[in-house]
Amino acid sequence: MRRRSSLPVTFLVPTLAILLVLSMVPTLYAIVIALQNRELSTTGYSWVWFSNFADLFLDRRFLNAVWVSVKWEVVTVVATMVVAIGLGVLMFEVAGPRLRNFYCLLFIIPVLLPRVSAAFVWKFAYHPLYGIATYPYRLITGGLIFDPLSKPATALFAVASVDVWQWGLFFAVIVLKLLETLPPQPIEAARLDHAKRWQIHAYVTLPMLKAPLISLMFVKMIESLRSFDLIYVMTRGGPGVATETLDMYAFSQGFIESGKVSYASAMAVLMMIATVITFTMLWKRVQA
Amino acid sequence: MSAIVCSHVDKAYGATTVIRDLNLAIEEHEFVVFLGPSGCGKSTLLRMLAGLEDISGGEVSIGGKVVNDLEPGDRGIAMVFQNYALYPHMTIFDNVAFGLKRQKVPAAEIKKRVEAVSRTLGLEPYLGRKPTELSGGQQQRVAIARAMIKTPKVFLFDEPLSNLDAKLRNHMRVEIARLHQSLKTTTVYVTHDQLEAMTLADRIVLLKDGVIEQIGSPAEIYRRPGNLFVAGFIGTPNMNFIEVTVGKGKDGWTLTGAGTVLSLQGGDFNLRHGDRVMLGIRPPDLKTAQAGAANLLQGTADLIEFHGNDALVTFGSGGKEISALVPARECPELRAPVRYSFDEESIHLFDATSGASLRKQ
Repeated sequence: MRRRSSLPVTFLVPTLAILLVLSMVPTLYAIVIALQNRELSTTGYSWVWFSNFADLFLDRRFLNAVWVSVKWEVVTVVATMVVAIGLGVLMFEVAGPRLRNFYCLLFIIPVLLPRVSAAFVWKFAYHPLYGIATYPYRLITGGLIFDPLSKPATALFAVASVDVWQWGLFFAVIVLKLLETLPPQPIEAARLDHAKRWQIHAYVTLPMLKAPLISLMFVKMIESLRSFDLIYVMTRGGPGVATETLDMYAFSQGFIESGKVSYASAMAVLMMIATVITFTMLWKRVQA
Repeated sequence: MSAIVCSHVDKAYGATTVIRDLNLAIEEHEFVVFLGPSGCGKSTLLRMLAGLEDISGGEVSIGGKVVNDLEPGDRGIAMVFQNYALYPHMTIFDNVAFGLKRQKVPAAEIKKRVEAVSRTLGLEPYLGRKPTELSGGQQQRVAIARAMIKTPKVFLFDEPLSNLDAKLRNHMRVEIARLHQSLKTTTVYVTHDQLEAMTLADRIVLLKDGVIEQIGSPAEIYRRPGNLFVAGFIGTPNMNFIEVTVGKGKDGWTLTGAGTVLSLQGGDFNLRHGDRVMLGIRPPDLKTAQAGAANLLQGTADLIEFHGNDALVTFGSGGKEISALVPARECPELRAPVRYSFDEESIHLFDATSGASLRKQ
């Protein structure tokens, strides 16, 4: 018995040890820094314990960043799922097998683009004078300028649209493939049961895919947290602080504006704690 | 008026023709079984009636109305699928009520009707459960309840019992028969199991390669098979076939082949001297020969399959394997010589090339 139980341990211990070092050391170091008052401009520091955290809650820009992050998360996740399900169902309903393959290939391309490239492509597409995305507006209004990335009301949605363009289309392919794995008989039974096309999906196929769709949503929620590269390239958090998410603000506090690494670390630690708590709660709810 | 009429119905997938110029009329209240080997087009035909497959050519009408272009829901039919096809995420109640809800039937009436149907089928204790919490037989009963509640003009069953184990299959078969007796709804039932077909059907439609081979009551099909295929397909154990040559005898006909010469009056058959014909005899029609019996088939018992009440004895006669189903007490020893004879009334003769029955109409 002992010999048998030692084999898994032999294999697991080194791997887990490496993982532990890789994940825990930076985390612990971030927590330690968050309790100090380090700045990039000076070498000295002292322990300030929780004063960084206390300051954060009085920082209106931080509270704005929290709000922007929440908005970003909700907008991108909801829009991605709506686009994915909508397009997936549409392809399932109207496209034949060959056309489906073509669309699938087409829809996977955006997500294969590096985020920074996608961001640059769309930054140019949104250009008020030359962009293809703003071209219809210029055409209709006879040359009026529309700059979605520099308007506080539209900037977040313009950036979010790139995220949805990448992930919504990719997820549409996954939703289509999920629909194709379903047994055809319940769909046929629903047709015999007087269900209209949309009702078949609303009441039969999508509920049957509830578990994988929720998993997809979780993946997207985690992916949406990593919005930094997209926002950094397209707006740098602007105009003003309209698209300044938490990671964007932490980065600019830590490295661009003031070099307050301890303050930025405090933000990162708070984000980590909030994320862990939120996801644990959501996961528990879904499991129940 | 016929409940279902198919006239010149074709079905093709690209270049492959699955059903060819099929004509069929099914009467009101009738229980019709589509029977045939796998790939004969019986399920396709049923799905065309249901509207789940397009009709490539010809016309299908249900209740006097051409339904070629009608949605499945609008054809006045209900279907029970082989693998039940229940909605896995819904409770049994919601599964049964789904069709009524889509038709916007008031909730109170839905409740009343679901309860009535589940009482008939003994599903009352399970209404709150999910399909996976039920056994196969119960799930199939839910599928039947879901079909029944719509009070359709026609019930369609697509091999409804093939996913059940043997004992449950017998039980459900009896239940379906009872249900049809009480509801009298026109029913089309697809199966490859001839026992189901024989026991349930008012009429059997025997299909092969998308063509109807014979239509008739179970007794007709069993006693007067129209061709070699039908004769070989219907009846367990399978009919024996012996290729023989017809000869004109003094007062009748002789059949020579398989190392024996058989003589018969031949009044029931269209025979010509010198014809090659297939002689068909069902194993239960072979009787242990008494002394002095005519029409003998003899050989050595090669294989004995004991069935309980009777035994299937397989013996070689003139290089041809022949089986006889005899009462178990007459069962010979293995390798013992056996002699069997038959009555002229029990034989079937078919044209050796076309396979058509030579029986006079």
